[in-house]
Amino acid sequence: MPVRDLLRTSSKLSPFQPRYEHLLLLVCVLGTVLPLGVDCNPSAENHQNNGTQKKSFPVLSFDYLHVRLPFEIALWILLASLMKLGFHLIPRLSNIVPESCLLIVVGLLVGGLIKVVGEAPPVLDSKVFFLCLLPPIILDAGYFLPIRAFSENTGTILMFAVIGTLWNSFFMGGMLYAVCQIPGTGLENVGLLPSLLFGSIISAVDPVAVLAVFEEIHINELLHILVFGESLLNDAVTVVLYHLFEEYAGVGSVTFMDVLLGVICFLVVSLGGVFMGILYGLIAAFTSRFTSHTRVIEPLFVFLYSYMAYLSAEVFHLSGIMALIACGVVMRPYVEANISQKSHTTIKYFLKMWSSVSETLIFIFLGVSTVAGPHQWNWIFVGCTLLFCLVSRVLGVIGLTSIINKFRIVKLTTKDQFIIAYGGLRGAIAFSLGFLLDKGHFPMRDMFLTAIITVIFFTVFVQGMTIRPLVELLAVKKKQETKRSINEEIHTQFLDHLLTGIEDVCGHYGHHHWKDKLSRFNKKYIKKCLIAGERSKEPQLIAFYHKMEMKQAIELVESGGIPKIPSAVSTVSMQNIKPKRALPQLSKGKEEEIRNILRSNLQRTRQRLRSYNRHTLMADPYEDAWNQMLIRRQKARQLEKRMTNYLTVPANHPDSPTMMRSRLSSDPQGYSLKLNSGNVPAIVVDPATPQSPESMKLLEESSKPGEEDQGIVMRAKLPESSRTDDNVFTPGEDSPKEQRLIRCLSDPGPPPEEEKDDEYQAFLN
Amino acid sequence: MGCNASTLAKIHNVDELILETGFSSSHICHLYNRFHSLDKDDKGLLNRGDFQNISELAVNPLGDRIINNFFPDGVDLIDFNSFARTLARFRPVEESLKKEPDSPEPINSRANKLKFAFQLYDQDKDGKISNNELLQVLRLMLGVQVTEEQLDNITDRTIQEADLDGDNAISFEEFKKVRAKLSGHFLASSCLTSDWDLGWGYGVASL
Repeated sequence: MPVRDLLRTSSKLSPFQPRYEHLLLLVCVLGTVLPLGVDCNPSAENHQNNGTQKKSFPVLSFDYLHVRLPFEIALWILLASLMKLGFHLIPRLSNIVPESCLLIVVGLLVGGLIKVVGEAPPVLDSKVFFLCLLPPIILDAGYFLPIRAFSENTGTILMFAVIGTLWNSFFMGGMLYAVCQIPGTGLENVGLLPSLLFGSIISAVDPVAVLAVFEEIHINELLHILVFGESLLNDAVTVVLYHLFEEYAGVGSVTFMDVLLGVICFLVVSLGGVFMGILYGLIAAFTSRFTSHTRVIEPLFVFLYSYMAYLSAEVFHLSGIMALIACGVVMRPYVEANISQKSHTTIKYFLKMWSSVSETLIFIFLGVSTVAGPHQWNWIFVGCTLLFCLVSRVLGVIGLTSIINKFRIVKLTTKDQFIIAYGGLRGAIAFSLGFLLDKGHFPMRDMFLTAIITVIFFTVFVQGMTIRPLVELLAVKKKQETKRSINEEIHTQFLDHLLTGIEDVCGHYGHHHWKDKLSRFNKKYIKKCLIAGERSKEPQLIAFYHKMEMKQAIELVESGGIPKIPSAVSTVSMQNIKPKRALPQLSKGKEEEIRNILRSNLQRTRQRLRSYNRHTLMADPYEDAWNQMLIRRQKARQLEKRMTNYLTVPANHPDSPTMMRSRLSSDPQGYSLKLNSGNVPAIVVDPATPQSPESMKLLEESSKPGEEDQGIVMRAKLPESSRTDDNVFTPGEDSPKEQRLIRCLSDPGPPPEEEKDDEYQAFLN
Repeated sequence: MGCNASTLAKIHNVDELILETGFSSSHICHLYNRFHSLDKDDKGLLNRGDFQNISELAVNPLGDRIINNFFPDGVDLIDFNSFARTLARFRPVEESLKKEPDSPEPINSRANKLKFAFQLYDQDKDGKISNNELLQVLRLMLGVQVTEEQLDNITDRTIQEADLDGDNAISFEEFKKVRAKLSGHFLASSCLTSDWDLGWGYGVASL
């Protein structure tokens, strides 16, 4: 996750004095842990005898009870976050051991500490888990799901999720039952149905664990989406099987009718969950259409609607995870077109933050629960569980792949299969489901729990730790770091159209045909309803192009201006500019005007920043200045006859949210520029950024002050000397915090006769 | 409309066709049936009008170019064999086939596919995609919502990125390089059948 990487990079900056930090951390940990143990003794001395005698007014009193619950929750979260900090301070630990393992170890330690103090360590309550800890992670995953990869591999993913999980459950349940029947193991009381129930609990691949481990190994997109998609979609199967077996384990037998009902139930659960999610997603998208006046609460709608989708699905025992994913996926394109830049950043960071905290808490609690929970260790049962888990996973993957490969164009190689099999990690969902079992119906629940925990530990520790060296060893393809250039985007769309056309000629209604139909339907009807205003008409390619321009411009700013650029970034456009031609040429009059405008606005900003009104996010004061400059620029451009603006973006409405958005896609990682051999400027495209800038109508630009906030504003600093062709302005003295404005142009050389009066060349919007 | 020996018998030179295109006989049958369903007046040949009758092709921005590609220069009617040959380009690449060093490249090889795509861009067939040609393609794909200036900028930018020898046009070599950068999975996923091979397992695709 980008937040993690951010932490990593920041930790590199302070390598000195690690010891103090470790000490501090230890003190903090102890400080947080001890109250957790101590709190359980209500102090009886708080009762006072009323009325009998007048006591002196208490200046300082201690009343812990009434803040106990929130206090504990806050302490736990604080502990989790401190742990996360701690790991990244230790230099090489995070490279060897995945975070999930470390967190479980911490949980074990904390649990042990609490036990030593004499208290009962808290166990991971299933209700808390399913209602509070799991949704943020799933929402984060669903909102940022790579749609293209997912939709192209949907068939494979569904096969693995549904049939793979079914196979795993029945194989494990059956084999365990067989083992239990062997006389002399002491396990004869484990019936068939409890075994099958156990099999269904333990066989589901866990999204939390998969995310935690796979995030760090940066495997190629195909494998990532296969394993991850499987972990998400198998929820429906798990829910149905779990309920089915749990219901009937008490009765003792399952008839054919029940099986049939189970199948129907599966369809209802999964499709119902998806439908619920889509419904809420559409409502959320529709709501976001009207939020242009209350930007502050936009992120709230996203979170609330998604959570409502999850809860509503849980009401009917539908698959909450699928509802959440469907909601996020459906909602995203429309919401992102409607909301402001700031809201987008907020949503992104909140989701990452919550999911990160949730994940940390889940793993820590797993550790604590291990120490806490009642255990019943049975070597044979646990050993066989582990063995059968591995065996069934491997067999399942191999078997399914051989069937799937008949239908796939890109076949799954043996290496791929190995990674898929190896990446089937179990996690906290299995534990929570086991914990929910009723002890009355299932006397062997403790044994089950022990086995589940052992399997979880094994998969997370052994498989989690070794997957990275294995990936290196097998030379599995890693995630491509180069981002898409506009060429590739054009070709992609071109290919889509081409292949759709060929499909139509053949009369074959394949993948492309339906995708094309869907996007046409989307454009014609849905976008009009759900996206406010102009943005509903924007083609994707334009959005992409603008995003790219923005990013490149930002990179140029951050890399410090033109003179450094030829060495750091060799954008093709920049090749045409020699370092000496640093700055554009402005007439004196214009310069003075700009200076005045900016100076006056600067002061305005400073004042504004001091008092921040909660109800409205004021539009930035630069807007007026910007609009003036933009209008001037338009005129300038109209004057020019011919200009090859390689990086020009025509004057845009300054408030275009996408522009703002792509301006700062908040992700420092997003700005990494890699030079590749084709000398193509590799532009980072953050898949999370939304798509549609407003369509540009040069002449219709009218400033709408106060309509939207601009996000981070770029300031133009005045150039000392001036040249016509563009470039980067270097910052002046009076701009402590403003950022530099880039104008990138790659005009190779204006013909000498042209008047370069008003060139504020293209610049970023 | 079944697929049987009698259908095969109707096709001229069917064995040679199977060899050349690499389709299986059932595929050929299906294509033949499709050919006849497109051929409204039953003349055994297709003209441009028959293609344009396909409704979905009419709304496809690249529809005209695709149709033109079926008809080589100067030819206005095509028979089934050339129909099948053009479609054969889209078959998935068979990596496992052993290639003799001097045999002609199979019709669905990667290079041929790229050449086909290149030809769709390069209308005047001079071996380069010029600024103008790219502009036309973009105009087709993006429709009316986009201003001229935007299109110009995008075109310039695109050519700049891909152009290595500085002639301000994209040659076939440069085109190949750009396409090569698309990751393998992505490339292959732009195919006519994704994981599900619907219906008759017609493994068309993969560019």
